Amino acid sequence: MSDDILGGEGFLTTRVDAVVNWARSNSLMPMPMGLACCAIEMMAFAAPKYDVARFGSEAMRFSPRQADLMIVAGWVSYKMAHTVRRVWDQMADPKWCIAMGACASTGGMHRCYGVVQGCDNFLPVDIYIPGCPPRPEALIHALMDIQEKIRNQYSVSTDAHEGKGAAEPTALRPRVLTPSGEGAISPATLYGTTEG
Amino acid sequence: MSKLEFHFTPVDGPSETEDSPNPHAKSTTFVPEAVKALQDTFGDDVQEVFLYANEHTVYVSKDRIVDVCRYLKEELGFTYLVDIGGIDLFTDEDRYEVFYNLVNLKEGKRLRLKTRVDEESSSLPSVTGVYRAAGWNEREAWDMFGLRFEGHPDLRRMFMPEDFEYHPLRKEFPLLGVPGSLPLPPQTPEAGLTLDPFAAAHGSKPIKSYEEAASDE
Repeated sequence: MSDDILGGEGFLTTRVDAVVNWARSNSLMPMPMGLACCAIEMMAFAAPKYDVARFGSEAMRFSPRQADLMIVAGWVSYKMAHTVRRVWDQMADPKWCIAMGACASTGGMHRCYGVVQGCDNFLPVDIYIPGCPPRPEALIHALMDIQEKIRNQYSVSTDAHEGKGAAEPTALRPRVLTPSGEGAISPATLYGTTEG
Repeated sequence: MSKLEFHFTPVDGPSETEDSPNPHAKSTTFVPEAVKALQDTFGDDVQEVFLYANEHTVYVSKDRIVDVCRYLKEELGFTYLVDIGGIDLFTDEDRYEVFYNLVNLKEGKRLRLKTRVDEESSSLPSVTGVYRAAGWNEREAWDMFGLRFEGHPDLRRMFMPEDFEYHPLRKEFPLLGVPGSLPLPPQTPEAGLTLDPFAAAHGSKPIKSYEEAASDE
């Protein structure tokens, strides 16, 4: 870098959050959870024409340990939900989730017994994309929204308080449940019956 | 069974069979020789023969289905089992129907076998001994309709989770499913399975069983 930009002193000052968020937001590695036809659009999103490499997310990782953005592309059956959730649990924090398309967001046209009516029933979704299937531009837009979200996070204070028992910083995204597991949907409260 | 007159859009050209009610129907599904051979061999066990839209459908009794399939495969050359599936007719007698689509690859002929299954037993012999390909189709019919295929080597559910209690393509099964019958994954490591809030939110209440309530009559 030229001396002019750094004022001739060879260093710059910034907040750690800004640097960390800059790095995280520009190197999101998606976990492509392709479950149906939306996955075809997701491939186009990664292919040269739409070229998600411009946003630093071209490295699709089929290993959850190496991914930090799950793209649920397609309808999720109840049987598959357990697998999706397990993959999500294996991803290291910080992680984000995109519900791509009508089916992943709401169940879409699959309003029937076997399909989960929206993957937010078991995943904390950050961005929902409408469309059936959404165009690659829509997925890129969702990715840009995620990047925007990351850039506005207080990463350092969140990390510093993780597991310390200290007062939690304000939740950065709505949680499905409390961290201790309270508030889980129980059959008794939901259906007014104690039968399992 | 009332017969509906139905004519295809003529794309294939007229068939050579003169006794077809539809001159434009395909001739591949018109197999009078095989039907005749079945009737001669199995007599009354060939219950009914339908010709609809130039397609032969042969109803056989379920006790002889394996023999009929073996005869069709070994004597008449129907070596390819395309599909097996169930149908819930929701009738008082012989509620279920199972169809077998067979193909004679050498002669280019197709035959549809059907058999009726009563609700009491909900079981019929498996044809996996004749057609190995029947395995998964029969598992699917078991999964969706609860039809037990006696003699199937591995009659597990095909699509639904193994601990699912119902057979979803039966007519009495609610479209939105039974609340709580298909749990969602735990949301925290120690928590239990979560129940699907969807069906309950839409007014569907769990019911105790699928036995229909006795009518007033």
